[in-house]
Amino acid sequence: MEELIVLEANITACTTLDELEKVRVDIFGKKGFLTKEFAKLATLQAEEKRSFAQVLNLAKEQLQEKFDIHYDALKSKLIEAKLKEEKIDLSLYNATPNIGALHPVMETMDKIIEYFVALDFSVESGPMIEDDFHNFEALNLPKHHPARDMQDTFYFADGSLLRTHTSPVQIRKMLSSKPPIRMIAPGSVFRRDYDLTHTPMFHQVEGLVVQNKGEVSFANLKSILTEFLHFMFGEVKVRFRPSFFPFTEPSAEVDISCIFCKGDGCRVCSHTGWLEVLGCGIVDPNVFKAVGYDDVSGYAFGLGVERFAMLLHKIPDLRSLFEGDIRLLEQFR
Amino acid sequence: MIVTRSWLNEFIDLKDISNDKLYETFNAIGLEVGRMEHVSMPSRVVIGQILSCEKHPDADKLNVCQVNIGLGTRQIVCGAANVVNATFVAVATVGTVLPDGLEIKPAKLRGVESDGMICSASELGLPNIGSGIMILDDSIGELEPGRELREYDTVNDTIFELELTPNRGDCLSIYGVARDLCAALGKNLIEHKPVRHNKKVKLGISREASLNAQADIDAYINCNLVVQKEDSTLPLIVYLRLAMINIPSKNKLDDALEYLLHTTGVILQAYDADFFRNVDEKIVIELKSDENKMINISNSTDTASVLGVYQDPKSKPDTQNGQIVLISSYIHPNKLAEMLGDSKIQKDSIYYNTSRGSNPDFAFGLLVAIDFFEKYDLMDVYDGVLSHEPNKEDKALLIDIKELYSIIGQDIEKSTVTNVLQRLGFKVAGIGDDAIAITVPMFRPDICNIQDIAEEVVRIIGIDQIESKPLCFNEHYHADSSISLYRAKKAIRNRAASVGFFESISYIFSDNALLEQYGFETINNENALLNPIVQEMNTLRSTLLVNLLLSAKRNINYTKKLIPLFEIGRVFDVKRNEKEKIAFVWSGQSEQESIINHGKPSMINMPLFLQKLGFILSDFRLEECSQTNKLIHPYQSANILIDNKVCGYVSKLHPVAQEEFGLYETFIAELDFEALMPKHVLAKSISNFQGVYKDLSILISREVAYSQVKRAIDELSLSILSNVYPIDTYEDKSLGNNISLTIRLFIQSGEHTLEDSEIEHVTEGILTTLQNNFGASLR
Repeated sequence: MEELIVLEANITACTTLDELEKVRVDIFGKKGFLTKEFAKLATLQAEEKRSFAQVLNLAKEQLQEKFDIHYDALKSKLIEAKLKEEKIDLSLYNATPNIGALHPVMETMDKIIEYFVALDFSVESGPMIEDDFHNFEALNLPKHHPARDMQDTFYFADGSLLRTHTSPVQIRKMLSSKPPIRMIAPGSVFRRDYDLTHTPMFHQVEGLVVQNKGEVSFANLKSILTEFLHFMFGEVKVRFRPSFFPFTEPSAEVDISCIFCKGDGCRVCSHTGWLEVLGCGIVDPNVFKAVGYDDVSGYAFGLGVERFAMLLHKIPDLRSLFEGDIRLLEQFR
Repeated sequence: MIVTRSWLNEFIDLKDISNDKLYETFNAIGLEVGRMEHVSMPSRVVIGQILSCEKHPDADKLNVCQVNIGLGTRQIVCGAANVVNATFVAVATVGTVLPDGLEIKPAKLRGVESDGMICSASELGLPNIGSGIMILDDSIGELEPGRELREYDTVNDTIFELELTPNRGDCLSIYGVARDLCAALGKNLIEHKPVRHNKKVKLGISREASLNAQADIDAYINCNLVVQKEDSTLPLIVYLRLAMINIPSKNKLDDALEYLLHTTGVILQAYDADFFRNVDEKIVIELKSDENKMINISNSTDTASVLGVYQDPKSKPDTQNGQIVLISSYIHPNKLAEMLGDSKIQKDSIYYNTSRGSNPDFAFGLLVAIDFFEKYDLMDVYDGVLSHEPNKEDKALLIDIKELYSIIGQDIEKSTVTNVLQRLGFKVAGIGDDAIAITVPMFRPDICNIQDIAEEVVRIIGIDQIESKPLCFNEHYHADSSISLYRAKKAIRNRAASVGFFESISYIFSDNALLEQYGFETINNENALLNPIVQEMNTLRSTLLVNLLLSAKRNINYTKKLIPLFEIGRVFDVKRNEKEKIAFVWSGQSEQESIINHGKPSMINMPLFLQKLGFILSDFRLEECSQTNKLIHPYQSANILIDNKVCGYVSKLHPVAQEEFGLYETFIAELDFEALMPKHVLAKSISNFQGVYKDLSILISREVAYSQVKRAIDELSLSILSNVYPIDTYEDKSLGNNISLTIRLFIQSGEHTLEDSEIEHVTEGILTTLQNNFGASLR
């Protein structure tokens, strides 16, 4: 069938789907070539009819195949073109974040809180304006005690003061509830000190555990704080040094091996290899006496959140934390 | 408290203890080392013996010395005036490199050969101890010409600056620190063995002096009578060591007393004996309480000193000769604090020691002092003392061993406990099966109970020796309101950050004048802050906004153009009541410059700002602003209502304030934080019947706020009107004083399919009401 060659050529000559559609109608349509040819079968007899039908069916198959292949080719060409048209350089849309950020000090505080909440500590708060009893007296810091010099205090005309630590929250909690107690008190505290390494306001998290007498020991304190510091700082060495706080006895300061130099000694750790991060101790019996607790034992600890945040994030300047400095904050998106 | 290795060596044998070990031990026993510094002599600096000293032929101020440096004699030209009095000096021989880098070479000075240099203390890297060359004496060790100075431990010393905690008055002396070290290092204190230097028969004190002490005085004193020797001088080591501990040299007597105080910790004060002389020429020292209950040392009429606090200069010896009464004293620090109360009395430097607890061991203090005076021939000491001590027993403690173990969390050998305590100066009175009876030495007023003892034991055996043990908590669960408060706060903070705000922390302080300028309340006078640290922080803030606006301003200085800040914090009202607030400030651009906005982002505006707030606060309503502060824009501000309660306000920043703060166009909001706490939700039943939307466009006076329209509709209490909201406003000159307002109604019944008449009833009702209330009409 020489027409077949012509028709096949017609199909492959099409460059658009529209052209191809016309060719399809010419070949396969109701008035198309094949319809006409098949109509001829009616005029033919047995043997001749069968062989012509065979030829036609073969031709139809060939044409259909040719058509399908070409249709697919044209279709994918079309999609390809459409895709190309829709091209966008996504890299133009890099990094235009319009999101804000939480403050690194608050984020650090949250991380600390989450740790102790997971250990089922309650989260307590108290007033910032305190009286002498809650801030000093009840914490075994009687008037004129030299240890009061350790904390320079903001006073008000009526004798009240801005709390110098979060410890008064412990006193309030103990006065308002019975042991056992397991709490932390996060919050801001105030000391009259303002230079490169001191701000008049900073944040502390205080912890207190009180149970029956004989249950809470120094060994327990070592255990929880060592694990806590590993949670915060990863694989660091933890060192306890005896120290003094009026409200605990025995007392210790806790150091971690310097996270910057791994203990070799650098500027941050003043070449000691250690960073002081916590104060802690066994609650002094005078504190329990002040809140009317008998036959109990307990431990307490306290830490400065800014110090943790600065160490964790290598923040160089303490004061920048209180200035709403977006150059710093936007790094914590 | 500064100690030096050689000084400590007088009371503890440190031969086999390295400096690193000392450093570690100090830290381990709670005497934190703040500074460790080696004073090391350069090599080739040797002891020189001056054989002769003559004036330089051509220079008035120079001397030519012949100096024996062991291996021979060197001629050295020296410019210091005091060389003429010197016998032994420090000679930097040829080849020495001094700490400042100067290398000693043979030289000619005005034609005279000089083969080395006679040094001053500071030239050798020692602390400055006065002008001229350093004249050596055998207080630093036996002087052998030619021996290198760096072989002398007293000169080649190591300084440790200890950061003492306020409870450790017992470590305010070399002796006290040595005692603590002995306990930690398992050594014995070296007993001070005085040599009887002065073989003269001594006069007895009671021939010339007497002490009249009121019987009930609760303090210890001890008086000695001495006669100063005029031409005596203090040995070099006193000057060297005072310089190392940063005590400036004053005069011979004061320097000697400072040196002794630092060595022994026993308070020793000098009084002019004449001050106490009565009409019969007898020295009578009175010890009594004054009308303020302070303990005074006085003569028959005048006060010489308040014990442990202050000495009147007129009672101090004013010459370097004559008789002196030396008074040692001890007062319990708690007693002293009680005695002083709120008194603003002047305090001497001695108060630092007495208020922390000085050494009450007068016998020891005097032993060292008298030995020192006689060894250097500084004073003649009368025999005997005049003393007063209160009738008191030593403090006894019974240590329950089991309790001690439970505090520490570990069993420790009983013998270890007693051993530690004994080395620290405690007396063990008895050891039972379950308890140890001890008496507390007077020099440890800080030890009152078993926990103090636990601290001593833990400190000396080392915290490292205690194994960590997890505590079995026996508390009830705490998943209560305190934690949900924390979580809710965290959620709100996260929402604020996710719509663009940066969390800020500002000081709770504020500037009173600035608060007043912007019409905010300030704390009244009777509640005012007494001792503000700077003017800008002279009161407590009554709003978060002023500090936030100052932060925004700083960010403009940092060339920021998009400044969204928020803060959660407490504010204080006139009576200083505390309240937690949340505040928002958005200044400048509404978003970052980007390809989307072609680098020209719109500035923040009220609708956008409110949309951001909506993401954070969720459901709120705005009504006419009732706030009056001067940050508020009178025509772009509103009260914020949550749950029908006014809980804050939102406003464009007043243009005057905007200019004063130097900001871009800025929007602000401040709310009570409490209002944002999540509510407990009770679900309403959901209607299964078809509802319809109906839009109403009305003409209404532009003076009428939508909130008034809404309120009027709400008051109709139409049960099937399930929602009303504005969707469009249109203004045109042709409308005159009116605007066109389109509101959309959603009408739905929970019980049945709506009839047309019901819908009409709603729209008619609304229209009638708006017409009656506001003269509105359908457009």
